[in-house]
Amino acid sequence: MRSIQRRLSLGLISVLLIVGLLLAQSSLWLFDRSLRSYLQATLQDETQTLLGAIVRGPNGLQLDERRLSAAFKRPYSGLYFRIDLAEQSWRSRSLWDRELQPVERAGLQDALADGPQGQQWLVYRADYKRYGQSFVMHVARDYTPMLKSFNQVQKIFLGLGGGALVLILLLQRLIVSRALRPLEQIRLQIIQLQHGQRSQLDQQVPLELEPLVAQVNHLLAHTEDTLKRSRHALGNLGHALKTPLAVLVSLAAREELKPLPELRESLSGQLQQIEQRIARELGRARLAGEALPGAHFDCTRELPALFSTLVMIHGKYLKLDWRADPELRLPWDREDLLELLGNLLDNACKWADSQVQLQISRQVHGYQLLIDDDGPGIDAAQREEVLERGSRLDEHVAGHGLGLGIVRDIVDAWAGQVQLAQSPLGGLQVRVTLPLKRT
Amino acid sequence: MRLLLVEDHVPLADELLASLSRQGYAVDWLADGRDAAYQGATEPYDLIILDLGLPGKPGLQVLQEWRSGGLVTPVLILTARGSWAERIEGLKAGADDYLSKPFHPEELQLRIQSLLRRSRGLANQPQLEAAGLQLDEGRQTVKRHDQEVQLTAAEFRLLRYFMLHTGQLLSKSHLAEHLYDGESERDSNVIEVYVNHLRRKLGREIIETRRGQGYRFSGDAA
Repeated sequence: MRSIQRRLSLGLISVLLIVGLLLAQSSLWLFDRSLRSYLQATLQDETQTLLGAIVRGPNGLQLDERRLSAAFKRPYSGLYFRIDLAEQSWRSRSLWDRELQPVERAGLQDALADGPQGQQWLVYRADYKRYGQSFVMHVARDYTPMLKSFNQVQKIFLGLGGGALVLILLLQRLIVSRALRPLEQIRLQIIQLQHGQRSQLDQQVPLELEPLVAQVNHLLAHTEDTLKRSRHALGNLGHALKTPLAVLVSLAAREELKPLPELRESLSGQLQQIEQRIARELGRARLAGEALPGAHFDCTRELPALFSTLVMIHGKYLKLDWRADPELRLPWDREDLLELLGNLLDNACKWADSQVQLQISRQVHGYQLLIDDDGPGIDAAQREEVLERGSRLDEHVAGHGLGLGIVRDIVDAWAGQVQLAQSPLGGLQVRVTLPLKRT
Repeated sequence: MRLLLVEDHVPLADELLASLSRQGYAVDWLADGRDAAYQGATEPYDLIILDLGLPGKPGLQVLQEWRSGGLVTPVLILTARGSWAERIEGLKAGADDYLSKPFHPEELQLRIQSLLRRSRGLANQPQLEAAGLQLDEGRQTVKRHDQEVQLTAAEFRLLRYFMLHTGQLLSKSHLAEHLYDGESERDSNVIEVYVNHLRRKLGREIIETRRGQGYRFSGDAA
């Protein structure tokens, strides 16, 4: 998973580092350049002073010591000269035992020359003609103090820059996490959506997210609408087919057909097959599969109504009860689960002597539905066969066969399992396990 | 027994009308929800068979209107929409039973019989038994002291009504209202004739006449 936060941080760091280093380095370089050109001017002045100090003495040309600045006389003072004539050369006393190496080119030298005591010299060469003689003058100045202060400035820059970077990153983190909070909110809401705790996303979002949220909401509404419409259409189809079928069934039972038992038999047989086929296929087609979040099965809300319906159908002599954790919600479509439970419980009520029990519980990997009755039960050997029979269409035991068939369809659609077992109440126990959906 | 059938599919209604009258019920037929909402609440029916997909007004709404108006007549819902969710809706709206299409005519007949018995507070028994008499509704005969007595259709209707209302005082006009549908001529003298027929077949003491008030069925118990 790539995090927007991390990406923003990385981008910001690299941009800040590159720009900061470039800025710092180029400002240092520019400063160095201007300092050097200033020093060039002073060095040039020095050469002119030196030139002024050359006088014609009794032994030919000589340097007037009195006109020289004191810095030329103190050893290693940081200011040096060397004047080369045709046959002699003068050097400043400050040079002491060092040599100022002459250079090729006139003007300020780009490279620094090594001096004594770790000094770095900025060397300037000027060529003059005077008294019919040509002079090559070298003046050098120690540059290390400047270099040292540059280094210091660089360190200060680095420290300040680093501090600023950390501060900016912290601020950026804060701003980004604030700016991304609506996204986080939507993420939470989508989780709630999947758990069926809400049916829509909140509309109160920043401008940038509005189209997304509106689109998701629209999609949800559209899916729900389409599902409703197709269910409605299927219901209508069922209605349209079943009413004429009811007429046919009724016609087949007429007095006039009594003398023709074979015809009557095959008519009603075929009609029954059509009926079961329609019921089965309608049930299968309207299986929603993925339930829309708003239509999840809320046990405490749906079960009382289902049980009072069962009591009404099967009379009050049966003791019906159910057990489920309070607020338990099964993440499947309400109508499909009612169909599943209705068929299983109806079956149990038909066979039970006095008691039917439903238990719904949450397991590690899903949910378990247990339907118990105290009826005759089914022999262990025959249980498989009953399940098999339930899924076959040509089974004629009304209620039993078809009911279990529909149950099988629903459970299969949810990748669950149906098992038959001996109930602690004495009759049959139907155990339905429904795996939790992968989200 | 007078029934109201509310069903908009004409061929099915025809079939049901024919088979219900063969079973000795007086049946009124309506196809529109609005008419049903009115007539069901005003006429004294013993049972109502209601389809849910009705023109004019949906069946569930009709049923809710009846129940909120205090109508206690048992209602059997007849519908193609047989899912449990819809069944629960129907029973919540106040239906007493629910039969989904297509159904076998015998199934409907059994449901009607058991609903009528249930609404009279009689236990769920395979045959209608009251005051020492056993009525076979399928064959329209009555058993008394292990002796089977054949009944004509009109006698059967009258006896069934009496047996479902054992011990109650029933006026001639009340009987006429519940034994004939809205279209028939109601002649209370006809009732008198059939009461005499029943007395001749089952004994004088079986139906008591209260002058100016009506009849009271007490059977052998009296």
